[in-house]
Amino acid sequence: MGVPMVRITLNRVYAVRDQWSLSASGTFNEGVHFVSGDVGSGKSTLALMMAGLLPLSGGDIEREEITTSMLSLQFPELHVTGLSVAEECASWGVAPDEILDAIGLTKKKEAPPLSLSRGELKRLHLACVLAKDYDLLLLDEPFSSLDCEEKVKLCARIGQKSQGICVIFTHEQNILPRVKRIWEIVDGTLVDCGAPPDAFTHWHHVPPVIKKLTALGSRPDNISPDDFLEAVCRIQG
Amino acid sequence: MQDPRIRIAAAAVLSLAAFMSLHGAAAVFLWWLVFTPRLQLAKRIRLVFSLILMIAFFSFALELSGGGGLSYFTRMTVIVLIGMWLFSEQKSGEFLSIGVWLFGDRAGFELGIVAEMGMQSLVSVTADLDRIRMAEKIKGMQWEVRSLVPAGLVLVHGALARAEDTAELLAVRGYQHGGTLCPKFLTRPLDIVAGTFAICIFIFSLIPVSEFFILYQ
Repeated sequence: MGVPMVRITLNRVYAVRDQWSLSASGTFNEGVHFVSGDVGSGKSTLALMMAGLLPLSGGDIEREEITTSMLSLQFPELHVTGLSVAEECASWGVAPDEILDAIGLTKKKEAPPLSLSRGELKRLHLACVLAKDYDLLLLDEPFSSLDCEEKVKLCARIGQKSQGICVIFTHEQNILPRVKRIWEIVDGTLVDCGAPPDAFTHWHHVPPVIKKLTALGSRPDNISPDDFLEAVCRIQG
Repeated sequence: MQDPRIRIAAAAVLSLAAFMSLHGAAAVFLWWLVFTPRLQLAKRIRLVFSLILMIAFFSFALELSGGGGLSYFTRMTVIVLIGMWLFSEQKSGEFLSIGVWLFGDRAGFELGIVAEMGMQSLVSVTADLDRIRMAEKIKGMQWEVRSLVPAGLVLVHGALARAEDTAELLAVRGYQHGGTLCPKFLTRPLDIVAGTFAICIFIFSLIPVSEFFILYQ
């Protein structure tokens, strides 16, 4: 008998709010998925629906072998429940010393979490979220408020995840992790673009660097900076 | 109600009427039943139930300590219902239009913009509160009294940060004072009817009804 596969399937799911609507169908298997879309297209709404935190206007979501799930909201301050940074780490069930050492915030252990800068708070939040393994990990705009160096570290950390489904909802276009499948929200509908690199041909939100490299005859294999570098090296021989 | 001038004036006189006397509050409640979408509003503004619960708690304490709790509860609940109606009918830009219509392009514009920012802040705080409750659920925490302190801190912090951002944005755009606007209002016949009834209720609330009954006896 094989290992049971985690899977989440959206069956004609839709959300309606005043003049705005979102519909989504598709299956997310194990691996890293990338969901792109314009600001206000419904990425956060979709993330909330997949996490089971927002009632669906219609359709249903099937979760197979998913026993643990986590959603990281776009704004890290909304997650804050601790009155100090150490207390905040503890509220996520992780040891403060280890986490704070890893992200360089040891000196701020006793500081109120809201006294941290947005970038520091985001680092703290992501470190707490990524310290555990989940069958379903939903990251809503994980790259916002991070500088390039931190974005690269986050990509590496996501790349290390060997099990479960990880869905990244973002409009970030430059520093991204290697992904298994690309999705996008276009005109209120979730579209499965497929696996990279074939997905690039019909991906509306394809990053400019991929467009440029493809025009130069060297299409990258995936969407990470390493893939872009490899494609550049191919051009230069 | 389409005309924001009549809506705000009606809300003001009805709130006063409900506050001043119990029979005034009863008349305002009837007005609310006739002229507003009632329960549809309550579904949209879930905070109302928490507010009414809070009023009930204070009313109970008042009743125990010296009486008058029931009257307080009735009057305050009716005021909350009027506030809920006013809040739900409000559309972006209306305060600015009313400010300019009342006090002109300088003081009116500034008052209007402050009121608009206040309303926007209220909408953001409500949205933030929903997300905070979701975030607590994500952590596997129950929403309880202890949650109020960190949630309150996050809400206040968020409101201050947004106010600072708006102030910076206005400064960057070179805003100093006042502004120009040509306010336009749409007045429907039903608005005038509802407004007239609101004034009648206000006058009715000033009549000492209980004394009238004593004289009659």
